[in-house]
Amino acid sequence: MTEVAPALFVALEQSGFAASIRQSTWLYPAANIGHIVSLTFFAGAIAVMDVRLLGGLAATAPARLLARARSFALAALAGMAMTGAVLFSAEASHLAVNRAFQLKVVLVAAGLANIAIYEFWARRAVDRLQPGAPMPPGAKIAGACSLGVWVAVAACGRSIAYF
Amino acid sequence: MMKPILFVSAFALLTSAAVAHHGWGSYGAHNPITVAGPIATSKFENPHATITVQASDKIWTVTLAPTSRMNSRGATEKVVAIGQNVSAYGYPSTVQKDEMRAERITVDGKTYEMR
Repeated sequence: MTEVAPALFVALEQSGFAASIRQSTWLYPAANIGHIVSLTFFAGAIAVMDVRLLGGLAATAPARLLARARSFALAALAGMAMTGAVLFSAEASHLAVNRAFQLKVVLVAAGLANIAIYEFWARRAVDRLQPGAPMPPGAKIAGACSLGVWVAVAACGRSIAYF
Repeated sequence: MMKPILFVSAFALLTSAAVAHHGWGSYGAHNPITVAGPIATSKFENPHATITVQASDKIWTVTLAPTSRMNSRGATEKVVAIGQNVSAYGYPSTVQKDEMRAERITVDGKTYEMR
């Protein structure tokens, strides 16, 4: 890792905030555990939503099922963002030039863009559907993209340690 | 109904891999080395404590263990303080020049396992 990180990330890593994370015995491991626990909740909620969008779990109307899963997913996403910020700050200059981390950031952005596209263009039609109704193609595409992207995000996250 | 089950199990498999521990992949396990000399700098920090060692030929960066493990093995901040004479057995990085990851270190005749 001879590549030099942008000054912003070097400054973040050298900040008192980042130093206190590194120097605490429990903070870094706690953030690590929190990140993984949030991930499991997020993966579970997202899997339920994506399977519903793809036409599975059709006994319940999509609006109700998606609303319940969505609140879990949002809480878990917030948990991952907070714990991720702690983990990132401690090693910002390394992570900023880490290829797996860079790819992960791009994929997270793609995952969030997929959610935004769904919310604007497909959600209204889906929320009106009755139990067992066939899902519109837009919903299926959003569900398939979501599954692929978030699995890839998890894989990239785990790969950071190996690059 | 088969499709969703497949998706869910694929998801579960991939995410369970995320709980596995860091690898030693970028270190040459086939080529162990011993670095010995006084400790020049010491950072007792997470995710891994690191020291630099003034060896006979050059300065090595030696990656140790997380601080909680260091403490539980007895390799406290004092043991790896600047000026202590250390002998570190481990594997050279295949990525970063003059960096190695210690399997075990010896200070004052006492050996501490890092893994």
